[in-house]
Amino acid sequence: MRLRFRVLSMAAMVATLVPVCGSAPGVTKTLDEDIVVTAAPVYEPLAVLRGEERFPQGAQLLLVHQGNAAPLVKGFAASADANISFDGKSVLFAGKQAASDPWQIWELTLADGSVRRLIANSADAIRPLYLPAGQLVYAGRTSTGYRLVVAGKASLSMMAPVAADAGETLLPISHLQGSAIPEDVLLDGRILFEANFPLGSGTTPELFLVYSDGSGVESYRCDHGRARWGGKQLASGDVIFTHGASLARFTSPMAHEVPVVAPHAEYAGDLAETAQGDWVVSSRASSAAHYALKLARPDLPNSASLAMQAVFAVSGENLVDPVLVAPRTRPHHHPSALHPWSYANLLALDSRLSREGDLRTVPASVRLETMDAQGRAVANGTAPVEADGSFFVQVPGDRPIRFALLNAKGAVVRQEHGWFWIRSGEQRICTGCHTGPERASENRVPDVLMRTAVPLDLTGAKAVSQSQTNAPGGN
Amino acid sequence: MKFTAEQLARSMSRISGPFAVMLLVALALWPALRRPVKADERAASPLPLVYASPLELQLSPDGARLYVLCQQTEEVRVLDARTYAAVKAIPVGHVPRGMALSVSGDRLFVTNSWDDTLSVIDTSALAVIATWNVGAEPSGVVEDRAGNQIFVANRISNDIAVLDARTGVEKKRLLAGRGASYLTLSPDGKRIYATHVYPNATPHRTAPASEITVIDTERAMVVERMPLPGVAGVFHLALSADGRLGAAAEYHPKNLIPLAHLEHGGAFAYTLTLFGADVGKPVEIPLDELERYASQPFGVAISPDKSRLYVTAGGSECVLAIDVARLLRFVHTRPRPASGSFANDLSASANYIVTRIPVGHNPRGLAFSPDGHRLYVANRLEDTISIIDPRTNRVTSTVALDGPKVVSALRRGEQTFYTARYSFQGQIGCASCHIDSTFDGLQWDLEPDGFGRDIVDNRLIEDLKGTEPFKWNGGNPDIPTECGPRTEMYFWRSEQYDGRVLADLALYMRGLPARPNRWRLPDGELTPSQERGKALFERAVDRFGKPIPETNRCSYCHSGPKGTSQKSFDVGTKKPTDNSGLLDTPQLTNTALTAPYLHDGSARTLEEIWTVYNPEDKHGRTNDLTKDELNDLIEYLRTR
Repeated sequence: MRLRFRVLSMAAMVATLVPVCGSAPGVTKTLDEDIVVTAAPVYEPLAVLRGEERFPQGAQLLLVHQGNAAPLVKGFAASADANISFDGKSVLFAGKQAASDPWQIWELTLADGSVRRLIANSADAIRPLYLPAGQLVYAGRTSTGYRLVVAGKASLSMMAPVAADAGETLLPISHLQGSAIPEDVLLDGRILFEANFPLGSGTTPELFLVYSDGSGVESYRCDHGRARWGGKQLASGDVIFTHGASLARFTSPMAHEVPVVAPHAEYAGDLAETAQGDWVVSSRASSAAHYALKLARPDLPNSASLAMQAVFAVSGENLVDPVLVAPRTRPHHHPSALHPWSYANLLALDSRLSREGDLRTVPASVRLETMDAQGRAVANGTAPVEADGSFFVQVPGDRPIRFALLNAKGAVVRQEHGWFWIRSGEQRICTGCHTGPERASENRVPDVLMRTAVPLDLTGAKAVSQSQTNAPGGN
Repeated sequence: MKFTAEQLARSMSRISGPFAVMLLVALALWPALRRPVKADERAASPLPLVYASPLELQLSPDGARLYVLCQQTEEVRVLDARTYAAVKAIPVGHVPRGMALSVSGDRLFVTNSWDDTLSVIDTSALAVIATWNVGAEPSGVVEDRAGNQIFVANRISNDIAVLDARTGVEKKRLLAGRGASYLTLSPDGKRIYATHVYPNATPHRTAPASEITVIDTERAMVVERMPLPGVAGVFHLALSADGRLGAAAEYHPKNLIPLAHLEHGGAFAYTLTLFGADVGKPVEIPLDELERYASQPFGVAISPDKSRLYVTAGGSECVLAIDVARLLRFVHTRPRPASGSFANDLSASANYIVTRIPVGHNPRGLAFSPDGHRLYVANRLEDTISIIDPRTNRVTSTVALDGPKVVSALRRGEQTFYTARYSFQGQIGCASCHIDSTFDGLQWDLEPDGFGRDIVDNRLIEDLKGTEPFKWNGGNPDIPTECGPRTEMYFWRSEQYDGRVLADLALYMRGLPARPNRWRLPDGELTPSQERGKALFERAVDRFGKPIPETNRCSYCHSGPKGTSQKSFDVGTKKPTDNSGLLDTPQLTNTALTAPYLHDGSARTLEEIWTVYNPEDKHGRTNDLTKDELNDLIEYLRTR
């Protein structure tokens, strides 16, 4: 009954596809490019970060061609999250053949409309994005939220469905309590994803980065505070995202977000950039309305704000996550340099340094905590901090971890707000403790490496008291 | 005597007629006839085309002529600065590097870095009127305002020669930084500022240091050495017309930190040091951004009205436009770090860099028209001149210099060597560490061996054929292995070139010639000291008459024409941080230039190899040698 209702409502929606006016009444624009967009009666953009459904009343991908829309895929109870291949010939999407199915990852060949399933799983799999070298990344549901998963083996094209137990062809790359949702693959090869801040413990949507092998996870920028989601990279390299009521951008030169002066509205998720550099955005006047597609001219001279032209709307439907059907620049592939280890190494160059203000005194030690399966913090031990603020530790890989700096009495002088992970086999260097991506490291050999090139084992594989044996002068 | 393809091409360009063409083709094919050639190599084998390779630019004082120093064709091309029509090409010496006009513009001076001469060109006749011998590898050159003295920076001898401007007779030498290269005369003519491309010596595993050597022009004396802490690689320096603002383009390496990733300036900061009355105490400011780097800054120019400052970024293939007023505001309002350097603040450049202007391959020298309305940029590996309108900061036209229209495999390989486009966020290229295809005088902590382990000295890459394997542990049997997936994973940290581009790069690197050795006598004979050193190098008996085991003679490991047996040995130089004492035998090609020594750069001089790091005679039997004998041995090694 429910399925029939959805199918009927979708059919009704398709039948009533009409261009309507947006913020410029009476003026509509027909795009030269074809667009695929997700249409849904109800859209809850941030529900996914809570592990909930974004499209509680279903969704359907539409292909908009010269102002006319038609369902992109046939025979699906629901479809969403289109991502166009780099050659513009196929579309990744999340779909349900039956309403009771979990979301799964599919690929449509545009030339003949053929569809094949790429990810076969018993849990939801959503937000697929093409990666270079025959891989894709998506968000797979777990008991603690969505996690990032990379599927496909480098240099191996995905010619066959990938089963959940496919071993090395399915690589979980986020290791958190909480959800991580891929948003875009940047031209430098990193995956832009959204999760709550502080990572693994917070409730404020924020944008993060990670390499396609799961290494190097970090905040995109560290001017945290406002909720940010829905990031998309432009050809210029800037990343545009939404606060909901406004748009903003990250640019390469700036350590903080830059506002985009846009008409007051609610903005949803991703935008698409046309070959001419215009933006196709999804917005609505208020929460009482539905999201429609608008064309924005970001570089019009002397414009105080983005000039918006209505492009496409569907009565009773939210149109979100537009993508252009066209070839696009393939991002760089990240050549993974992970070592074949079960642990990771972390070198902090100067733990005194922080965006929150540099510590004036050197911490006596650093404590590592991991999160167990029940979500409890477990202390793995401490390591000495050198006079220059450096420490070098071996930590467990692929688990939530966090550090706290302690004084000589063992009291916490500063600790991380959230959790992060280091991939097994990763060797990572931190300039300080939450210094922000704008702060590069000073060129000097950290004291800890002058003393020893052996990281202190805080993996928990040995007794915690082992850390006391590595006082300065050891090794 | 050996020639590279490019050297041959240069020579052949001076021979005309069918014979030359036939000979050229035969020579080009000769390596292929001598040895088996793999399919990919055959496809990449080039005819040795000769490209103009514009390196430096000068405008005549009236702005009518543009002088273009063309390094590979070894000439100065004279263009009409308005129409860009070719007026004349003036042949100069071997591998020209520096160029300067006299104050009146009547003479143009060109340094010829490989034959150690200075060409003096009469700009009326557009002809070379004199060629004077100067120091080792002359680079930058300036004449004082009075026309009495010419100053020439010598890269190999690390000094500045002062010549009589009328006769070319050398009057004195001034000690400069290591790899002295670029000279700038202050607008009032009272000072000359000298920079150098290799860092001065600092203690092992400490930050590099450089200097700007300031010379009193009239007295021809060094009056100041402006320290540039943390800097290794200083290139052009510009002064504003009022003399109140100076800026030098620099590399600020991160060689002491394990090279685990490139993000957040993991390998380099590229910077300017600002100095002068406008600035007060000198300050280093970054040119990089958070996700985009200004790789390999080289040329600097300040507009005549001091409103704009431009920097070429050779690896990033762009010109950076800086708003000087905003720059000075930043310098005066932002609290200075204790180090005096903003190099590690990747968000700083947003305060003063207006835009990045894309230009051609490997932009180097740049020059303003006298009215400041045009900025000319030499794109060295594209044979073009970009003309930028400083009012719009846009390229208004691009002038193609005469030359081959085909880009050869060798040329593509050189482009690959210099570009930073293959590395993560465009931070580094091969040339970031191999300055002008040489080395950088630094030791690096590479990631795969472990943090703080296997510190390695950067080696010279001249005349590599026959020196395989590569890496200090001898782990890479050939150049494609050295520069292929390993480089992608541990240096570029990003997807790199495909097989064809790698083949082109390998072709370029295999063809890099050795610079002329300045310690050899012109006739190839050895001095008596060198002869004695050669005997010590080859000796089989020590001074006590005791036989030296063959494997402990210098000539055993350092055998063959390149001074390497191409095998690995443990010579007792293993440090506690080394994973193994088994080390590849380094070639001795131009070894005099490549201090410091040993695999980790711990020996500051050749002598320290034996006096400090060979206590048990494992690195050859040397502890029986007297000081004079060690000197002889060193004298001989310098001829290799």
